Amino acid sequence: MTKLNSIYIIDDDPITVFGIKKMLKTIVECPNVKTFENGKLALDQIMDELRKGIQPPEVIFLDINMPIMDGWEFLEELLKLDIKEKIIINVVTSSIDTSDYQRWNKFRINCLHYLNYKNKPIFSIEPTDLKRINLAS
Amino acid sequence: MKTSQAGLIPYPIQQLPAATALVNSDFALVQASDDWYALFGIPQSKKSKVPIFDFYEGHERCSKEILQQYLVGNDVRTIRHGKNIGDKQVWLESIFAPWLDQKKNAQGTIIQVRDISEDVEKDAELERMNNLLNATSEVAKIGSWEYDLVTEKLSWCEMTKKIHQVPTDYKPSVAEAIEFYKQGYSRNKISMLFHNLMSEGGSFNERLQIITKKGEERWVAAGGKAITQAGKIIKIFGTFQDINEQMLAEKRTRESERLLTTLIDNLPINVFIKDKDSRKILVNKAECDYLEVDAKQLIGKTDFDLYDPNVAQKSRDEDLEVIRTLKPMLAQETINVRKDGSITHFLTSKIPLLDLDGNAYGLIGMSLDISNLKQKEEQLRNLINVTAIQNKKLINFAHIVSHNLRSHSANFSMLLDFLSKENDEKEKTRIMKMLLFASDNLMDTLENLNEVVDISTNVNLDKKSINLLSSIERVQQNLSAFLEKCGVTVIKSVDKKLNVLSVPAYLESIILNLMTNAVKYRALDRAPKIVISAQKQDGFIVFSISDNGLGIDLKRYGDKLFGMYKTFHDNKDARGLGLYIIKNQIEAMDGNITVTSEVGKGSTFKVNFNDQTQ
Repeated sequence: MTKLNSIYIIDDDPITVFGIKKMLKTIVECPNVKTFENGKLALDQIMDELRKGIQPPEVIFLDINMPIMDGWEFLEELLKLDIKEKIIINVVTSSIDTSDYQRWNKFRINCLHYLNYKNKPIFSIEPTDLKRINLAS
Repeated sequence: MKTSQAGLIPYPIQQLPAATALVNSDFALVQASDDWYALFGIPQSKKSKVPIFDFYEGHERCSKEILQQYLVGNDVRTIRHGKNIGDKQVWLESIFAPWLDQKKNAQGTIIQVRDISEDVEKDAELERMNNLLNATSEVAKIGSWEYDLVTEKLSWCEMTKKIHQVPTDYKPSVAEAIEFYKQGYSRNKISMLFHNLMSEGGSFNERLQIITKKGEERWVAAGGKAITQAGKIIKIFGTFQDINEQMLAEKRTRESERLLTTLIDNLPINVFIKDKDSRKILVNKAECDYLEVDAKQLIGKTDFDLYDPNVAQKSRDEDLEVIRTLKPMLAQETINVRKDGSITHFLTSKIPLLDLDGNAYGLIGMSLDISNLKQKEEQLRNLINVTAIQNKKLINFAHIVSHNLRSHSANFSMLLDFLSKENDEKEKTRIMKMLLFASDNLMDTLENLNEVVDISTNVNLDKKSINLLSSIERVQQNLSAFLEKCGVTVIKSVDKKLNVLSVPAYLESIILNLMTNAVKYRALDRAPKIVISAQKQDGFIVFSISDNGLGIDLKRYGDKLFGMYKTFHDNKDARGLGLYIIKNQIEAMDGNITVTSEVGKGSTFKVNFNDQTQ
């Protein structure tokens, strides 16, 4: 069992949230799994916690199509924040549009966090979705 | 005998004022006048009886044998002979007559000689002139005729006869001569002219047609001039010229000229010829029609007189280039702006006109009006743009559809996977509940998509003129409970006579969506207020609906506002479909929708209904 402090699930679809949570239960021990219906709510939480000195989540499951603030906008805003820790961000989408993949790839190259691209449906969560061996350290 | 002979000679022979000589039957000179000696010279011979032949020694056309023949005979004989005196040719005429005594016995011959040089020269000149005249007449085919009013005799020269194709011994009468002219105009005309000339005098020269003896129709130029003597017309002299070839050639030239003019004038192309200074020297009908002036008014004008200065300068530059390089400008697209500002698109060619030395003295221009083609091209381009936009919309829609259906099917797959692995009954019930929820969601999605497809496929839109105010009131009535609950004030400033062209269901959908949105996204700290107005503007009816609600950050969401499944407020009722649908409906009716908004102040949506029936 992997042990993590904090996981965010940002998705407006309750079924996907249910599925991710269910799969997480089997492979990870985490007392702090938070869900958000859109990017704005999650971003507000992260900024709030940063101010309080609380560390950002280690893993984020991020949907793309959401009201108010979608996944891309969330990523853009997140990158502006002063975060030293590397977050594993799993972009979860049912899109088969190649432009979405290219956009993800652009983010992957230009940011310090680990970005994964997961096409729905997801049947399992891989160990790399939760933990990366930091070769630099 | 001889003395008696000498005694017979009268002394004055010597003094006769003409060159005279007496010759005896032995052909020896008996006596001669001083003039004889002056003409023939004094012979060298010392003999008392000089043979007459000595005098004629060296004369042309006069040998001893010929002289012997002429010296004998009872009649008067004449011979012409030439003599060279220095470098001058002198022609003489000798007349031989018998010399008889009282008893009429032949004594010899009397010779009288006179200088006829002048006569001979005149004869030669006359012959030369005649030859020249005949040759001229032959070459120019000019004949002559003469009518003597006194003898009433008409005479034709050789050429005149030849032109009439009559034999040379033909003798015409006036009536016959007139008969030769072609019946109708030609005959009437010549008859009139001839009789006028006889009575009034003067002259004429006319081109007429004759029918020759052989029945050929020929053009002739007949001229006549009255000759008067002491105020009385005595003669008519005239010319007669065969101008058939000339007339036929002229006719052919005129015909080809007409062909060319007809061709140029009826070409659906503006044709013009310009000189080196770009002045028009020829224009066709199409060019005149285009410029709406007579050809006469165009000749000598330049483009600066006819077109906008910029256009004229451009055209002048083209002209100069063509004249300088001698290279034709072919099928160039040009734009002409007339003085009144009207624009015509042309396909213009300019070809240099070269003189025999190969220098350009102007150019010929041809312009084909392609304004219609240009317009069609423009329409086509617009159509392509519209198609491209629609295509993009379709692709976008296809992505939305695939995304939505995929996300539902992904949920089904995942849940079914859970279900198959789950042993706990309680958990199984939970998963089943989730599956039902997913199924409901799918149904909703399909219904939404159906609605959108309906709009996009509804190509045969039946637009009707609908009263706007009553439509608004009907929607307001339907929403009355909702509006009342939220305490909304609705202010309408719409002319009750104002109608819009719309599909009835669409108009209702548009008003309903915009009004509902205005209330849904109201600011909770103030009483909601909706202002609805409408007015005519540039072929559109502008329907405007403003609220004092939350407002939208257009910088952030502007490009997504009318997108499918886009919601921007944390509102549970938001489906992200309303604006997408009405935008499609409005665009399907050739209208458009715009929005202005300020966060915290409110939003204004403006719908432009196309008011032009097509």
